[in-house]
Amino acid sequence: MSFSFPYLKYALGNLTKKTSCDMYPVVKKEAAAHYRGRIAYDSTKCVNCGMCMKVCSPGAITRTEEPVEGGKQITYRFDLTSCTFCAMCQDFCSEKAITLTGDYEMVGRAEELVTEETYFKAMPAGLPGISDDCVFCGLCAKNCPEEAITVDRPNKSWTVDEDKCIKCGKCVSKCPKKCLSFQMPQVKCGEGCVFCGLCAKNCPEEAITVDRPNKSWTVDTDKCVLCGKCVSKCPKKCLKL
Amino acid sequence: MFKKLIAESAAKSPWVYHINTGSCNGCDIELVAAVTPRFDAERFGVKLAGTPRHADIVVVTGPVTAQSKERLIRTLEQVPEPRVIVAMGSCPNSCNVFKNSYAVEGPLDKYCHVDVTIAGCTPKPEAVLAGIVQAAEILKQKRRDMAK
Repeated sequence: MSFSFPYLKYALGNLTKKTSCDMYPVVKKEAAAHYRGRIAYDSTKCVNCGMCMKVCSPGAITRTEEPVEGGKQITYRFDLTSCTFCAMCQDFCSEKAITLTGDYEMVGRAEELVTEETYFKAMPAGLPGISDDCVFCGLCAKNCPEEAITVDRPNKSWTVDEDKCIKCGKCVSKCPKKCLSFQMPQVKCGEGCVFCGLCAKNCPEEAITVDRPNKSWTVDTDKCVLCGKCVSKCPKKCLKL
Repeated sequence: MFKKLIAESAAKSPWVYHINTGSCNGCDIELVAAVTPRFDAERFGVKLAGTPRHADIVVVTGPVTAQSKERLIRTLEQVPEPRVIVAMGSCPNSCNVFKNSYAVEGPLDKYCHVDVTIAGCTPKPEAVLAGIVQAAEILKQKRRDMAK
């Protein structure tokens, strides 16, 4: 009876080699580039269009709105235990407020695995309304995210549901006849303005132009979505919706 | 004396049992990846157990389908206390995209207490390891409480 150890050479050789194991909790590892992990949400960029909730297939994003004086307290909640990490919310966010980070260590109790942030949004006082130029094409109703507008073409009637309207201004920007407008609302610059330009800098639609040397302030009403960001960023509180 | 010795050694080798309740197989693959030598869950004494009666940690994947619900409950009943239940991935935690489906009767916390949640769709093997390490800590605590 003879013994042979065909792998003895390899066995002894491997004794001196380093381990091929990743040693994970000791040595932390970066996720691959473009890895879609924990959701980061920047509420200062958000304009509350609600597109992220619409494109979220598992319905992991919820919004709560609390009316306070002069506007709304808006909270977006991303439930990471419900998320498919498809990054559709990131792709569809026009303001780039949502990013999926490389943080993959989402472990713990289910209540802790949430991304949540609250911000204040100033609201225009009035509702959108039409002028005589209206041809009742219905584009405003089609583009309304809350289905607040009803257009009855045969009867030439146009109504807006006050409770449903979130005053996002999409109907106004989509109106081909430019007959739609918010009844009161328009950003106006009052007394005390120092033409610092912070409003223009924070405008997501680049609707505001500030010319400091000539002390002029203009707003492009076609571009403005009445998000109220300029108002909340104005250091002199001279801006009004 | 032997009891204490056994309890201490058992605490250092939490065996994992894996139940698939209608998962898409993504989480199952990542769990198996976590016990391969590359990630090496055996450093923590973790081994996949062949039967729920040998298990300390139960890892559940999948949204608990109507077909698997009965089997899930039957399997969980066989796991001896102390046990730690880990819900891996979005499905057992919230049913993910299968919410409100007639074929799905989840989420898992309707049927048992979930100790550790691993979020992700699917979680990386590293996240699975982090979850299992956390589950082992909870298991240790549960053992201590039971000994009292």
